[in-house]
Amino acid sequence: MHTVEFESVSKSFAEKDIIGDISFSVRSGEIFGLLGPNGAGKTTLIRLLLDIIRPDVGEIRVFGDFLSSAAKDRIGYLPEERGLYRKMKLLEMLVYLAQLKGMPKKQAQLNAESLLKSLELYEHRNKKVEELSKGMQQQIQFLSAIIHNPELVILDEPFSGLDPLSTKAVKTRILELRNSGKTVVLSTHMMEQAQTLCNRILMLNKGKRVLYGTVDEIRREHGKNSLIVEFVEKEGLNAIRRFPA
Amino acid sequence: MSSFSGKTFIIARHEFLKTVKRKEFLLMTFIFPLFFMAITIFPTMLAGMIPAEDQKIGYVDMTGSFNFPGPITDEGFSAGPFGAKTSTISFIMYGEASEARQALQAGQISSYLVIPEGFLEAGTIELYTFEKEVAVPGVELSAELSDIVITSLLKNRVDESVLNRVKDPVNLKLYNVGEHGEPSEQGIAEILTNFGLPILTGFLLFFSIFSASSYLLRGVAEEKENRIIEILLSSTTPSELLKGKILGLGAVGLLQIVVWLAVITLGGRYVLPIRIEPMLLFLALIYFLLGFLFFASMMAGIGAVTSSLQESQQVAGIFTFAAISPLLFMQLLLTNPDSSLSIFLSLFPLTSPVAMLARIGATDVPVYQVLASISILFISVHGVILFSSRLFRAYLLMYGKRPGLKEILKSIKAGGR
Repeated sequence: MHTVEFESVSKSFAEKDIIGDISFSVRSGEIFGLLGPNGAGKTTLIRLLLDIIRPDVGEIRVFGDFLSSAAKDRIGYLPEERGLYRKMKLLEMLVYLAQLKGMPKKQAQLNAESLLKSLELYEHRNKKVEELSKGMQQQIQFLSAIIHNPELVILDEPFSGLDPLSTKAVKTRILELRNSGKTVVLSTHMMEQAQTLCNRILMLNKGKRVLYGTVDEIRREHGKNSLIVEFVEKEGLNAIRRFPA
Repeated sequence: MSSFSGKTFIIARHEFLKTVKRKEFLLMTFIFPLFFMAITIFPTMLAGMIPAEDQKIGYVDMTGSFNFPGPITDEGFSAGPFGAKTSTISFIMYGEASEARQALQAGQISSYLVIPEGFLEAGTIELYTFEKEVAVPGVELSAELSDIVITSLLKNRVDESVLNRVKDPVNLKLYNVGEHGEPSEQGIAEILTNFGLPILTGFLLFFSIFSASSYLLRGVAEEKENRIIEILLSSTTPSELLKGKILGLGAVGLLQIVVWLAVITLGGRYVLPIRIEPMLLFLALIYFLLGFLFFASMMAGIGAVTSSLQESQQVAGIFTFAAISPLLFMQLLLTNPDSSLSIFLSLFPLTSPVAMLARIGATDVPVYQVLASISILFISVHGVILFSSRLFRAYLLMYGKRPGLKEILKSIKAGGR
């Protein structure tokens, strides 16, 4: 069963094609990687998925239908541009964000308290967000995406700005999400992360589909023809010129 | 346009609580009425509480033809629960100015008058007070002196009724003639109700638009700046977000107005005899709500399109000016309420809330015009909310350069995609 389906979707801004005729699907319960360099169109694709912006052409279905307001409640989202209410108290903000995802206030309060306890942040619940450390804010950001127990979790560059220890913790959390039956859409520009975490991958470049399939399929098809180039500081780009092709 | 959803109310509640906890809101809502009380009620209360001073005034009549009366008791000004405080002026005659001066220096009198020999030609009376006091004659003293002069000059020469007419020549009474020809007296209460209420409503509308829209602009700018807007848009539709903000901040504006009106009504009753017609109050409320929704939706759209708080305030200033423009035409609206321009202003949605209320105060506006004005405003509110939610969808996640008018119109036409 597919949680997300894109069919021939195109989107342009100011007459510039950002997404060009993209089709793909995300299977329920998998970690699906959106891979590509900065500016490839990954964030635009996610915004289209969430109905924040609408396609010029094509159809997008989430949970088998066009995205309704109720269906939005079943999605958790961690945007690339991190954002929190800096002046709000931690618990108050989490409850508000969960309520916006359709969760009753009491349940939202219980969930928020339980998650804060699991991250050992409960004692900070009445502090303003701006009073927390950067690391804590990053944890809270992740927490705000999953507080309402969503079926589909979308993570846009979840490792950007994280130290190695936090990166490891986030990776563990992503795997925990999949193990608990959630579908995860993960956007990254780092191949290594996609390879280690994702079941299937869609690689984008300049808004076009470059690769699409399971990690193993892609390896089989393109693995033999790939070349790893490591630059040595001394030689720089001159090293590559030695190759005849 | 979809109806209000549960999320709209959650956003409205959040916006309401966030704003009413702001220091600026508390200051504006409660300091403004305190300021109003300070300039209206306290002076009246003090005037009622401090007993009026009795005065002894000396006089030197060099013409020898004036008849000063015995002590004159002034009834004073009655305001609030304190009642009138009376004061008495007693006149004491002196033969020479030097005697009067000595009495002043000895504190026996508070001032003295000298009526020179040539008074009839020049009409001048000199008032002398102690050096440290300001020689400004009170209103009562001037009036009493005029009475004394007229009585002295005309008594026994004209009838008593003529004498009284010379003292108090004209009392102008104002009457309104109704549709069926029945006249009714127009007192100060009617004048204040007819003209005062529309102007007051206009000012309150302006202030509430000004304060609530600045909270709205700041809120949207902060959410754009904090990048939280993307999380909000992943949970709600732009339309729900916009309506929630407008509803929440509309409630803030209403709360502010209720506090102000309560203070003005309670405090103003001490000094102004305003009587408010229930129908006029009902229409004022309708126009206030629709006018607020119209301008607030417009401000939200501006907040979405502009890239910084400063820029949004500049653009919003143009529309704030439109909101107060009927106050510039107030004279026309009150003196010529049935002119084509007055009718246009009371139908045009940018100006109709204040302009129609002013016309209702000044003339009998046909019911169809009132209904047309409300309908146009109602449809305009729907249109502006629709446009603003499209702008919300198109521009909330855009940072940097502000889009041009052509691009904005294209986005509205395309449904904000």
